[in-house]
Amino acid sequence: MVFNRFFVKEVLRELLSNKVNLFFMVLALTFSLTALNTIYALGKSAEKQILDTLANLNFGKDAALVLAGGGRMMGLATTRTDTLKMEDIKAIERLNFVKIVSPFLGNVLEVNFSGKAEKLRVDGVLPNYLLANNWRVFQGRFFTEREVENYAKVVVLGYEVAKKLGLKKILGEKIKIGGEYFTIIGILEKKGSLGHYPLDERIFVPLTTAQKRLFNVDYLSGFKVVFQEGTDFKQNVNLIREILRSRHKLLEMEPDDFRIITPDMAIERFTKTSRTISAFLLTIALISLVISGVIIMNLMTASVEEKAGIIALRLALGANSHDIIYHYLFSAFLISGISGMVGWLISLLLIKVISLFTPLKPLFSWGTFLLSFGFSFITCIIFSIFPALKASKINPAILLKSL
Amino acid sequence: MSKPLIQLIDIRKKFQSGKITYEVLKGINLEVYMGDFLAIMGPSGGGKSTLLNILGLLDRPDSGLYLFEGREVNTFSEKELSRLRNQKIGFIFQAFHLIPWATALENTLLPALYGGEITKEKIQRAHELLEKLGLGDKKNHKPAELSGGQQQRVAIARALINNPTLLLADEPTGNLDSQSSEEVIKIFENLNKEGLTIIMVTHEREIAQRAKKIKFLKDGKFIED
Ligand SMILES: Nc1ncnc2c1ncn2[C@@H]1O[C@H](COP(=O)(O)OP(=O)(O)O)[C@@H](O)[C@H]1O
Ligand SMILES: [Mg+2]
Repeated sequence: MVFNRFFVKEVLRELLSNKVNLFFMVLALTFSLTALNTIYALGKSAEKQILDTLANLNFGKDAALVLAGGGRMMGLATTRTDTLKMEDIKAIERLNFVKIVSPFLGNVLEVNFSGKAEKLRVDGVLPNYLLANNWRVFQGRFFTEREVENYAKVVVLGYEVAKKLGLKKILGEKIKIGGEYFTIIGILEKKGSLGHYPLDERIFVPLTTAQKRLFNVDYLSGFKVVFQEGTDFKQNVNLIREILRSRHKLLEMEPDDFRIITPDMAIERFTKTSRTISAFLLTIALISLVISGVIIMNLMTASVEEKAGIIALRLALGANSHDIIYHYLFSAFLISGISGMVGWLISLLLIKVISLFTPLKPLFSWGTFLLSFGFSFITCIIFSIFPALKASKINPAILLKSL
Repeated sequence: MSKPLIQLIDIRKKFQSGKITYEVLKGINLEVYMGDFLAIMGPSGGGKSTLLNILGLLDRPDSGLYLFEGREVNTFSEKELSRLRNQKIGFIFQAFHLIPWATALENTLLPALYGGEITKEKIQRAHELLEKLGLGDKKNHKPAELSGGQQQRVAIARALINNPTLLLADEPTGNLDSQSSEEVIKIFENLNKEGLTIIMVTHEREIAQRAKKIKFLKDGKFIED
């Protein structure tokens, strides 16, 4: 086997002797590598963002969400949904492993401001909502215990709501919710979105006000519970489940009339969709990689046919078939290197551009780098085996054919 | 008398063209000794190139015995044949067959590449050969920048780089004008004087007559004169 500067130069110059051919080989591969890298990186970025948001919602490792009504996690409730009451919250609050319990009652309602109408999610909550969700006030203030006790008609807006309603001066302004006027007392900090769900397009009123004035019910939609640090999460969740079942007087064979959503379930739920989409797109990218492999195989075979005389000459001058195979595999290696590099750089650029127009943040990772070069290398080597073998079988006797 | 460098006994070669097979070589017997300078003449299509391919280990005969330095070539593996071609045989072609993107110097060094290492000595030898062949100022020229005669001299330098025992030339002057032809045959004469064994195919009588011996190949056999 020969490997030295002269050999590398020889392989390179043979490649460069047909620049059109080389260009299309690199183009085919670069195209699919760019797709592959970009999809992979964006998938990773989307996933990270969801995890960040979940963490930001304080849906950390020691919090759980309890929703009224039994059934599948995100599906519609399959039991009664009017059984979860404020007394349940009080009972849970007394447990020593519980740090915060934050109940809520919410639904989508029409909200009006000077002729403008928007359907927005309205949640009745307690002042501890901010702490439970690791959220802060951006402007103004949140409502107080007193306002909760007094069924006050005050409202705190999510960051994007004012813009949606076309509000100029915000604090002190009155908006109409479900037919009643509420005074705006505060705006919350920007929170982003969870998957496709916009967290900043919600508005908050005192829980009591929501029960009495907006929905006219005495039950709750659910609550969020944050446990004391260092307590056994699984055990906590089981205890809460038992307490709720006994308080709701459920019989042994009756299903839960509530759903407990844990961080693991939430993460799985939100990353599953993005994973499914990524897997689908990655499959397409891999198929395009195979197509580019076939293109490379064809172009390389054409190139071997074009260079048959030179290959025959090498054989006549003492190269053996291994040397020839080696020559074309190395040639494929160079193509894979060029394409891998170009594909990687273009995808970095593309991710950057995409991040300018979408909330996705580009994630630089050596993962995409390795992905690019790895797949480039594998594709090139696999699809150059056939042309390389073909080259090695050229009969050197063709050199003496009279022209 | 010493043992022959090359011995061919009843070499036969058939080709298939569609359904018809025809015998191009119909029993060739030949002995070539060290220091010989043999010219092979004959009509076009007579099988001269086919014979040279077999002699140069580029093709195998269908039957017959080929002894190179007393060893039976039929039994050699593909690797051993490559090695023999690389170390013992130099080729000169009618169409020169230089690599278009490589310089005269790099073309000369090509057999050294497949011989293993391109050593300092090989590079030195390439320089010397090109200078000796009057190409001292053309070392870094590409084939397209050289005349036919100059290209054939680069091919000769390439054939000599690994110090072969045998030089095989198929119509070496076939593509050259008379002045360049003269230069090339002169080089062959000198090389032969220095001890190199040469087998040359040509259809030009004046060129053939510069060899020490001439054989005529017709209808797949040597004509005994
Ligand atoms: N690979 C091949 N396949 C089929 N026919 C061939 C092949 N090589 C040579 N021939 C035929 O064999 C005959 C002898 O060819 P060649 O040895 O080139 O003759 P010469 O060199 O004397 O002109 C010609 O008829 C040629 O067409
Ligand atoms: Mg011929």
